[in-house]
Amino acid sequence: MSEVAVDRACELLVQSLVAWRVAGDVRRSRDGAIVICGALEEIRIDFAPSDPMFRWMVTIGRRQRRAMSLVGVLRQVREALDPGYAANRVRVVLTPLVPY
Amino acid sequence: MRADVIPVSILTGFLGSGKTTILGHLLRQPEFSRTAVIINEFGEVGLDHELVETSEDSFIELKTGCLCCKIRTDLAYTVQDMLQRRDEGNCSPFNRIVIETSGLADPAPILQTLMTDTSIAERLVLGGVVTTVDTVTGVSTLQREDISQKQVAVADRIVLTKLDLGGPAQPVLLRRLTELNAGAPVLSADRGKIDSQSLFRAGLYDPHVRSLDVNSWLAESRHSHARHDADVQTYTIVRKEPIGAITLTLFLETLAEHCGADLLRLKGIVNIAESPDRPAVIHGVQHVFHAPAWLKGWPSDNRNSRIVFITRRVPQRWVEALFEVIDAEVADASVGR
Repeated sequence: MSEVAVDRACELLVQSLVAWRVAGDVRRSRDGAIVICGALEEIRIDFAPSDPMFRWMVTIGRRQRRAMSLVGVLRQVREALDPGYAANRVRVVLTPLVPY
Repeated sequence: MRADVIPVSILTGFLGSGKTTILGHLLRQPEFSRTAVIINEFGEVGLDHELVETSEDSFIELKTGCLCCKIRTDLAYTVQDMLQRRDEGNCSPFNRIVIETSGLADPAPILQTLMTDTSIAERLVLGGVVTTVDTVTGVSTLQREDISQKQVAVADRIVLTKLDLGGPAQPVLLRRLTELNAGAPVLSADRGKIDSQSLFRAGLYDPHVRSLDVNSWLAESRHSHARHDADVQTYTIVRKEPIGAITLTLFLETLAEHCGADLLRLKGIVNIAESPDRPAVIHGVQHVFHAPAWLKGWPSDNRNSRIVFITRRVPQRWVEALFEVIDAEVADASVGR
Protein backbone atom coordinates (compact mmCIF):
# COMPACT_ATOMS: atom_id res chain seq x y z
CA MET A 1 0.00 0.00 0.00
CA SER A 2 1.54 3.26 -1.05
CA GLU A 3 1.53 6.35 1.10
CA VAL A 4 -0.44 8.04 -1.66
CA ALA A 5 -3.21 5.47 -1.32
CA VAL A 6 -3.41 5.83 2.46
CA ASP A 7 -3.40 9.61 2.18
CA ARG A 8 -6.19 9.33 -0.34
CA ALA A 9 -8.15 7.12 2.05
CA CYS A 10 -7.57 9.63 4.86
CA GLU A 11 -8.83 12.47 2.73
CA LEU A 12 -11.95 10.48 1.82
CA LEU A 13 -12.68 9.75 5.47
CA VAL A 14 -12.19 13.40 6.48
CA GLN A 15 -14.57 14.51 3.75
CA SER A 16 -17.00 11.73 4.59
CA LEU A 17 -17.45 13.04 8.12
CA VAL A 18 -18.24 16.45 6.62
CA ALA A 19 -20.69 14.96 4.14
CA TRP A 20 -22.45 12.95 6.84
CA ARG A 21 -22.41 15.88 9.27
CA VAL A 22 -20.79 13.67 11.87
CA ALA A 23 -18.30 15.03 14.40
CA GLY A 24 -14.92 13.33 14.49
CA ASP A 25 -11.23 13.57 13.90
CA VAL A 26 -9.19 11.58 11.38
CA ARG A 27 -5.45 11.09 11.86
CA ARG A 28 -2.61 8.74 11.06
CA SER A 29 -1.10 6.69 13.89
CA ARG A 30 2.63 6.14 14.22
CA ASP A 31 2.33 2.63 12.83
CA GLY A 32 0.59 3.90 9.71
CA ALA A 33 -2.99 3.04 10.54
CA ILE A 34 -5.83 5.50 10.10
CA VAL A 35 -7.59 6.37 13.34
CA ILE A 36 -10.96 8.05 13.58
CA CYS A 37 -11.99 9.48 16.93
CA GLY A 38 -15.71 9.98 16.84
CA ALA A 39 -18.11 11.00 19.57
CA LEU A 40 -19.35 7.42 19.92
CA GLU A 41 -16.43 5.25 18.91
CA GLU A 42 -12.75 5.13 18.10
CA ILE A 43 -12.11 3.33 14.86
CA ARG A 44 -8.83 1.98 13.58
CA ILE A 45 -8.34 1.16 9.92
CA ASP A 46 -5.37 -0.91 8.81
CA PHE A 47 -4.30 -2.03 5.42
CA ALA A 48 -4.35 -5.83 5.27
CA PRO A 49 -1.52 -6.67 2.87
CA SER A 50 -1.40 -10.38 3.57
CA ASP A 51 -5.01 -11.00 2.65
CA PRO A 52 -5.55 -11.43 -1.08
CA MET A 53 -9.30 -10.90 -0.78
CA PHE A 54 -9.73 -8.16 1.78
CA ARG A 55 -7.63 -5.02 1.54
CA TRP A 56 -8.66 -3.40 4.83
CA MET A 57 -9.15 -4.31 8.48
CA VAL A 58 -11.54 -2.17 10.48
CA THR A 59 -11.36 -2.31 14.27
CA ILE A 60 -14.23 -0.83 16.24
CA GLY A 61 -13.88 -1.43 19.98
CA ARG A 62 -12.90 -5.09 20.27
CA ARG A 63 -14.52 -6.10 17.05
CA GLN A 64 -12.50 -6.56 13.90
CA ARG A 65 -14.08 -6.78 10.46
CA ARG A 66 -12.48 -6.96 7.08
CA ALA A 67 -13.45 -4.94 4.06
CA MET A 68 -12.75 -5.60 0.41
CA SER A 69 -12.57 -1.94 -0.48
CA LEU A 70 -12.85 1.55 0.93
CA VAL A 71 -16.50 1.51 -0.06
CA GLY A 72 -16.92 -1.29 2.50
CA VAL A 73 -14.83 0.64 5.03
CA LEU A 74 -17.07 3.67 4.57
CA ARG A 75 -20.15 1.60 5.34
CA GLN A 76 -18.66 0.23 8.57
CA VAL A 77 -17.46 3.66 9.69
CA ARG A 78 -20.82 5.24 8.97
CA GLU A 79 -22.70 2.54 10.85
CA ALA A 80 -20.44 3.06 13.87
CA LEU A 81 -20.46 6.84 13.99
CA ASP A 82 -23.88 7.81 12.72
CA PRO A 83 -26.68 6.18 14.73
CA GLY A 84 -29.29 7.75 12.48
CA TYR A 85 -27.87 6.09 9.42
CA ALA A 86 -30.05 3.45 7.92
CA ALA A 87 -27.97 1.86 5.23
CA ASN A 88 -29.69 2.30 1.96
CA ARG A 89 -28.50 -0.70 0.05
CA VAL A 90 -29.35 0.71 -3.29
CA ARG A 91 -28.16 -1.33 -6.19
CA VAL A 92 -27.23 0.83 -9.13
CA VAL A 93 -26.37 -1.28 -12.10
CA LEU A 94 -25.55 0.23 -15.42
CA THR A 95 -27.22 -2.39 -17.52
CA PRO A 96 -25.95 -3.02 -20.04
CA LEU A 97 -22.46 -2.08 -19.02
CA VAL A 98 -21.61 -1.44 -22.62
CA PRO A 99 -24.03 -0.48 -25.40
CA TYR A 100 -25.56 -3.23 -27.42
CA MET B 1 -34.46 5.05 -28.27
CA ARG B 2 -37.93 4.40 -29.68
CA ALA B 3 -38.99 6.56 -32.60
CA ASP B 4 -42.30 7.51 -30.96
CA VAL B 5 -40.80 8.53 -27.65
CA ILE B 6 -42.61 11.51 -26.15
CA PRO B 7 -40.78 14.33 -24.39
CA VAL B 8 -42.30 15.31 -21.09
CA SER B 9 -41.40 18.69 -19.65
CA ILE B 10 -42.02 19.91 -16.15
CA LEU B 11 -43.09 23.47 -15.47
CA THR B 12 -42.58 24.25 -11.84
CA GLY B 13 -42.15 27.28 -9.60
CA PHE B 14 -43.42 28.56 -6.29
CA LEU B 15 -47.01 29.63 -5.68
CA GLY B 16 -47.97 32.63 -7.77
CA SER B 17 -44.77 32.73 -9.75
CA GLY B 18 -46.49 32.77 -13.13
CA LYS B 19 -46.50 29.17 -14.30
CA THR B 20 -50.06 29.15 -15.57
CA THR B 21 -49.62 32.47 -17.39
CA ILE B 22 -46.62 31.08 -19.27
CA LEU B 23 -48.40 27.82 -19.99
CA GLY B 24 -51.38 29.73 -21.40
CA HIS B 25 -49.08 31.63 -23.73
CA LEU B 26 -47.22 28.53 -24.83
CA LEU B 27 -50.33 26.58 -25.67
CA ARG B 28 -51.39 29.26 -28.09
CA GLN B 29 -48.21 28.78 -30.12
CA PRO B 30 -48.51 26.59 -33.22
CA GLU B 31 -45.62 24.35 -32.23
CA PHE B 32 -47.39 23.52 -28.98
CA SER B 33 -50.66 22.63 -30.69
CA ARG B 34 -50.25 18.91 -30.03
CA THR B 35 -49.44 19.13 -26.38
CA ALA B 36 -51.03 17.17 -23.59
CA VAL B 37 -51.00 19.07 -20.33
CA ILE B 38 -51.26 17.82 -16.78
CA ILE B 39 -52.07 20.57 -14.35
CA ASN B 40 -51.57 19.79 -10.70
CA GLU B 41 -53.19 22.03 -8.16
CA PHE B 42 -52.88 21.76 -4.46
CA GLY B 43 -56.37 22.79 -3.48
CA GLU B 44 -59.45 20.61 -3.37
CA VAL B 45 -60.93 22.39 -6.36
CA GLY B 46 -58.78 23.07 -9.36
CA LEU B 47 -58.84 26.49 -10.92
CA ASP B 48 -55.75 26.85 -13.06
CA HIS B 49 -57.13 24.77 -15.90
CA GLU B 50 -59.93 27.31 -16.27
CA LEU B 51 -57.29 29.92 -16.93
CA VAL B 52 -55.59 28.08 -19.73
CA GLU B 53 -57.00 28.21 -23.23
CA THR B 54 -55.77 25.55 -25.55
CA SER B 55 -56.16 24.68 -29.18
CA GLU B 56 -58.44 21.81 -30.08
CA ASP B 57 -55.43 19.57 -30.54
CA SER B 58 -54.25 20.00 -26.98
CA PHE B 59 -55.94 18.60 -23.97
CA ILE B 60 -55.68 18.99 -20.26
CA GLU B 61 -55.80 16.57 -17.41
CA LEU B 62 -56.39 18.07 -14.02
CA LYS B 63 -55.14 16.53 -10.83
CA THR B 64 -55.77 18.00 -7.44
CA GLY B 65 -53.65 17.16 -4.45
CA CYS B 66 -49.91 17.28 -4.65
CA LEU B 67 -48.23 15.17 -7.31
CA CYS B 68 -45.01 14.95 -5.40
CA CYS B 69 -46.46 13.23 -2.38
CA LYS B 70 -50.05 12.09 -1.89
CA ILE B 71 -50.92 11.23 -5.44
CA ARG B 72 -47.50 10.47 -6.80
CA THR B 73 -48.58 7.13 -8.16
CA ASP B 74 -51.53 8.91 -9.68
CA LEU B 75 -49.12 10.67 -11.99
CA ALA B 76 -48.00 7.37 -13.47
CA TYR B 77 -51.62 6.24 -13.88
CA THR B 78 -52.56 9.53 -15.49
CA VAL B 79 -49.72 9.44 -17.98
CA GLN B 80 -50.31 5.78 -18.72
CA ASP B 81 -53.97 6.47 -19.37
CA MET B 82 -53.14 9.39 -21.63
CA LEU B 83 -50.71 7.27 -23.64
CA GLN B 84 -53.26 4.51 -23.97
CA ARG B 85 -55.93 6.91 -25.20
CA ARG B 86 -53.44 8.31 -27.67
CA ASP B 87 -52.54 4.83 -28.93
CA GLU B 88 -56.21 3.93 -29.34
CA GLY B 89 -57.01 7.17 -31.15
CA ASN B 90 -59.33 8.35 -28.40
CA CYS B 91 -57.66 11.70 -27.98
CA SER B 92 -55.55 14.12 -29.93
CA PRO B 93 -52.31 12.54 -31.14
CA PHE B 94 -50.16 14.65 -28.87
CA ASN B 95 -46.40 14.67 -29.34
CA ARG B 96 -45.42 16.38 -26.12
CA ILE B 97 -46.50 16.36 -22.48
CA VAL B 98 -46.16 19.32 -20.14
CA ILE B 99 -46.73 18.87 -16.42
CA GLU B 100 -47.45 22.02 -14.49
CA THR B 101 -46.75 21.20 -10.87
CA SER B 102 -48.40 22.79 -7.91
CA GLY B 103 -46.50 25.68 -6.42
CA LEU B 104 -45.67 23.61 -3.36
CA ALA B 105 -44.47 20.55 -5.22
CA ASP B 106 -41.03 19.08 -4.91
CA PRO B 107 -40.07 18.30 -8.51
CA ALA B 108 -37.63 15.53 -7.58
CA PRO B 109 -40.20 12.77 -6.85
CA ILE B 110 -42.05 13.70 -10.02
CA LEU B 111 -38.83 13.27 -11.99
CA GLN B 112 -38.28 9.95 -10.23
CA THR B 113 -41.73 8.71 -11.19
CA LEU B 114 -41.24 9.66 -14.82
CA MET B 115 -37.87 7.96 -14.90
CA THR B 116 -38.65 4.77 -13.07
CA ASP B 117 -42.28 3.76 -13.41
CA THR B 118 -42.10 0.81 -15.74
CA SER B 119 -45.53 1.45 -17.19
CA ILE B 120 -44.50 4.79 -18.66
CA ALA B 121 -40.74 5.26 -18.50
CA GLU B 122 -39.94 3.57 -21.77
CA ARG B 123 -42.41 5.74 -23.65
CA LEU B 124 -41.12 9.01 -22.27
CA VAL B 125 -37.97 11.05 -22.23
CA LEU B 126 -37.37 13.97 -19.95
CA GLY B 127 -37.80 17.13 -21.99
CA GLY B 128 -36.49 19.48 -19.37
CA VAL B 129 -37.42 21.18 -16.15
CA VAL B 130 -38.48 24.83 -16.35
CA THR B 131 -38.77 26.83 -13.14
CA THR B 132 -40.47 30.21 -12.85
CA VAL B 133 -39.22 32.79 -10.37
CA ASP B 134 -41.19 35.89 -9.50
CA THR B 135 -38.91 38.96 -9.58
CA VAL B 136 -41.12 40.82 -7.11
CA THR B 137 -41.04 38.30 -4.28
CA GLY B 138 -38.40 35.88 -5.51
CA VAL B 139 -35.66 36.89 -3.08
CA SER B 140 -37.79 36.51 0.01
CA THR B 141 -39.42 33.34 -1.26
CA LEU B 142 -36.05 31.72 -1.88
CA GLN B 143 -34.92 32.80 1.56
CA ARG B 144 -38.01 31.50 3.31
CA GLU B 145 -39.18 28.47 1.37
CA ASP B 146 -36.90 25.45 1.04
CA ILE B 147 -39.08 23.99 -1.66
CA SER B 148 -38.55 27.03 -3.88
CA GLN B 149 -34.80 26.51 -3.59
CA LYS B 150 -35.20 22.93 -4.70
CA GLN B 151 -37.40 23.97 -7.61
CA VAL B 152 -34.64 26.29 -8.81
CA ALA B 153 -31.87 23.82 -8.12
CA VAL B 154 -33.23 21.10 -10.40
CA ALA B 155 -34.15 23.43 -13.28
CA ASP B 156 -32.77 23.19 -16.78
CA ARG B 157 -34.14 26.68 -17.48
CA ILE B 158 -35.12 29.44 -15.05
CA VAL B 159 -37.70 31.98 -16.15
CA LEU B 160 -38.01 35.35 -14.46
CA THR B 161 -41.58 36.59 -14.33
CA LYS B 162 -43.45 39.75 -13.35
CA LEU B 163 -40.74 42.05 -14.61
CA ASP B 164 -43.54 44.44 -15.58
CA LEU B 165 -44.31 44.79 -11.87
CA GLY B 166 -40.90 44.56 -10.28
CA GLY B 167 -38.68 45.98 -13.01
CA PRO B 168 -35.39 44.34 -13.92
CA ALA B 169 -34.33 41.50 -11.68
CA GLN B 170 -32.32 42.67 -8.68
CA PRO B 171 -28.66 41.64 -8.61
CA VAL B 172 -29.27 39.90 -5.29
CA LEU B 173 -31.88 37.67 -6.93
CA LEU B 174 -29.62 36.84 -9.86
CA ARG B 175 -26.76 36.05 -7.49
CA ARG B 176 -28.98 33.72 -5.48
CA LEU B 177 -30.13 31.93 -8.61
CA THR B 178 -26.50 31.48 -9.69
CA GLU B 179 -25.63 30.08 -6.28
CA LEU B 180 -28.47 27.60 -6.47
CA ASN B 181 -28.06 26.58 -10.08
CA ALA B 182 -25.29 28.10 -12.12
CA GLY B 183 -25.83 25.77 -15.04
CA ALA B 184 -29.36 26.79 -15.95
CA PRO B 185 -29.75 29.74 -18.32
CA VAL B 186 -31.98 32.49 -16.92
CA LEU B 187 -34.67 33.72 -19.30
CA SER B 188 -37.30 36.42 -18.95
CA ALA B 189 -41.00 36.28 -19.69
CA ASP B 190 -42.96 39.37 -20.68
CA ARG B 191 -46.44 38.92 -19.20
CA GLY B 192 -46.16 35.23 -19.89
CA LYS B 193 -44.73 35.62 -23.36
CA ILE B 194 -41.47 33.82 -23.94
CA ASP B 195 -39.65 32.18 -26.80
CA SER B 196 -40.90 28.63 -26.60
CA GLN B 197 -37.87 27.30 -28.46
CA SER B 198 -35.43 28.58 -25.90
CA LEU B 199 -37.67 27.39 -23.11
CA PHE B 200 -38.30 23.78 -23.94
CA ARG B 201 -35.23 22.89 -25.92
CA ALA B 202 -33.68 22.35 -22.56
CA GLY B 203 -34.08 18.68 -22.01
CA LEU B 204 -32.03 15.70 -23.00
CA TYR B 205 -34.27 15.01 -25.97
CA ASP B 206 -34.53 17.54 -28.76
CA PRO B 207 -37.91 17.00 -30.44
CA HIS B 208 -36.89 19.03 -33.48
CA VAL B 209 -34.06 16.78 -34.48
CA ARG B 210 -35.50 13.78 -32.63
CA SER B 211 -32.23 13.02 -30.94
CA LEU B 212 -30.44 13.43 -27.66
CA ASP B 213 -29.13 16.98 -27.26
CA VAL B 214 -26.64 16.43 -24.50
CA ASN B 215 -24.81 19.74 -24.61
CA SER B 216 -27.97 21.76 -24.18
CA TRP B 217 -29.28 19.46 -21.48
CA LEU B 218 -26.09 19.33 -19.51
CA ALA B 219 -25.49 23.09 -19.60
CA GLU B 220 -22.81 22.51 -17.01
CA SER B 221 -21.24 25.31 -15.09
CA ARG B 222 -17.56 25.79 -15.73
CA HIS B 223 -16.91 26.50 -12.12
CA SER B 224 -18.28 25.27 -8.90
CA HIS B 225 -20.86 27.54 -7.39
CA ALA B 226 -20.96 26.35 -3.85
CA ARG B 227 -21.36 28.65 -0.91
CA HIS B 228 -20.26 27.40 2.47
CA ASP B 229 -23.48 28.50 4.09
CA ALA B 230 -25.69 27.41 1.24
CA ASP B 231 -27.83 24.33 1.46
CA VAL B 232 -28.04 23.71 -2.25
CA GLN B 233 -24.82 23.46 -4.20
CA THR B 234 -24.07 22.92 -7.86
CA TYR B 235 -20.78 21.70 -9.25
CA THR B 236 -19.36 19.72 -12.11
CA ILE B 237 -16.88 16.88 -11.95
CA VAL B 238 -14.74 16.59 -15.08
CA ARG B 239 -12.53 13.62 -15.93
CA LYS B 240 -10.25 13.52 -18.94
CA GLU B 241 -9.45 9.82 -18.69
CA PRO B 242 -12.14 7.30 -19.65
CA ILE B 243 -13.99 5.82 -16.68
CA GLY B 244 -14.38 2.08 -16.27
CA ALA B 245 -17.96 0.83 -16.11
CA ILE B 246 -17.28 -0.85 -12.76
CA THR B 247 -15.83 2.36 -11.33
CA LEU B 248 -18.84 4.34 -12.43
CA THR B 249 -21.27 1.79 -11.03
CA LEU B 250 -19.53 1.67 -7.64
CA PHE B 251 -19.30 5.45 -7.58
CA LEU B 252 -23.01 5.97 -8.26
CA GLU B 253 -24.00 3.23 -5.85
CA THR B 254 -21.94 4.73 -3.04
CA LEU B 255 -23.27 8.21 -3.74
CA ALA B 256 -26.82 6.90 -3.56
CA GLU B 257 -26.16 4.89 -0.43
CA HIS B 258 -24.55 7.66 1.56
CA CYS B 259 -26.07 10.85 0.20
CA GLY B 260 -29.07 9.77 -1.84
CA ALA B 261 -31.59 12.01 -0.14
CA ASP B 262 -29.29 14.99 -0.60
CA LEU B 263 -28.52 14.25 -4.21
CA LEU B 264 -31.18 16.46 -5.73
CA ARG B 265 -30.13 15.83 -9.27
CA LEU B 266 -27.20 14.38 -11.16
CA LYS B 267 -26.77 14.44 -14.89
CA GLY B 268 -23.78 13.74 -17.04
CA ILE B 269 -22.10 12.43 -20.12
CA VAL B 270 -19.49 9.79 -19.42
CA ASN B 271 -16.64 8.43 -21.48
CA ILE B 272 -16.86 4.76 -20.56
CA ALA B 273 -13.56 2.97 -21.08
CA GLU B 274 -15.31 -0.08 -22.52
CA SER B 275 -17.26 2.06 -24.97
CA PRO B 276 -14.97 4.84 -26.19
CA ASP B 277 -17.03 5.81 -29.22
CA ARG B 278 -20.45 5.73 -27.60
CA PRO B 279 -20.69 7.86 -24.48
CA ALA B 280 -23.20 7.10 -21.77
CA VAL B 281 -25.67 9.71 -20.61
CA ILE B 282 -26.53 9.27 -16.94
CA HIS B 283 -29.33 10.85 -14.98
CA GLY B 284 -30.23 10.44 -11.34
CA VAL B 285 -32.59 11.96 -8.83
CA GLN B 286 -31.91 11.22 -5.17
CA HIS B 287 -31.59 7.42 -4.77
CA VAL B 288 -32.77 6.63 -8.24
CA PHE B 289 -30.66 6.41 -11.35
CA HIS B 290 -32.07 6.03 -14.79
CA ALA B 291 -30.60 3.35 -17.03
CA PRO B 292 -27.95 5.11 -19.10
CA ALA B 293 -28.71 6.24 -22.62
CA TRP B 294 -25.97 5.35 -25.05
CA LEU B 295 -25.32 8.00 -27.66
CA LYS B 296 -24.42 6.98 -31.20
CA GLY B 297 -21.38 9.20 -31.02
CA TRP B 298 -19.86 12.14 -29.23
CA PRO B 299 -21.86 15.33 -29.67
CA SER B 300 -18.71 17.45 -29.91
CA ASP B 301 -14.93 17.18 -29.84
CA ASN B 302 -15.02 17.34 -26.06
CA ARG B 303 -14.63 13.74 -24.90
CA ASN B 304 -14.19 14.50 -21.24
CA SER B 305 -16.63 12.93 -18.83
CA ARG B 306 -18.72 15.67 -17.27
CA ILE B 307 -21.08 15.05 -14.38
CA VAL B 308 -23.17 17.86 -12.99
CA PHE B 309 -24.19 17.58 -9.33
CA ILE B 310 -26.99 19.51 -7.68
CA THR B 311 -26.88 18.61 -4.01
CA ARG B 312 -28.00 19.64 -0.60
CA ARG B 313 -24.83 20.04 1.47
CA VAL B 314 -22.82 17.28 -0.19
CA PRO B 315 -19.26 18.64 -0.37
CA GLN B 316 -17.68 18.65 -3.80
CA ARG B 317 -14.41 17.47 -2.27
CA TRP B 318 -16.13 14.38 -0.87
CA VAL B 319 -17.49 13.50 -4.29
CA GLU B 320 -14.05 13.98 -5.85
CA ALA B 321 -12.27 12.01 -3.14
CA LEU B 322 -14.78 9.18 -3.43
CA PHE B 323 -14.27 8.94 -7.16
CA GLU B 324 -10.48 9.01 -6.84
CA VAL B 325 -10.48 6.24 -4.24
CA ILE B 326 -12.81 3.97 -6.17
CA ASP B 327 -10.97 4.54 -9.42
CA ALA B 328 -7.62 3.72 -7.77
CA GLU B 329 -8.93 0.60 -6.03
CA VAL B 330 -10.54 -0.74 -9.18
CA ALA B 331 -7.29 -0.12 -11.05
CA ASP B 332 -5.33 -1.91 -8.32
CA ALA B 333 -7.70 -4.86 -8.34
CA SER B 334 -7.45 -5.21 -12.09
CA VAL B 335 -3.69 -5.74 -11.84
CA GLY B 336 -3.93 -7.95 -8.76
CA ARG B 337 -2.54 -5.50 -6.20
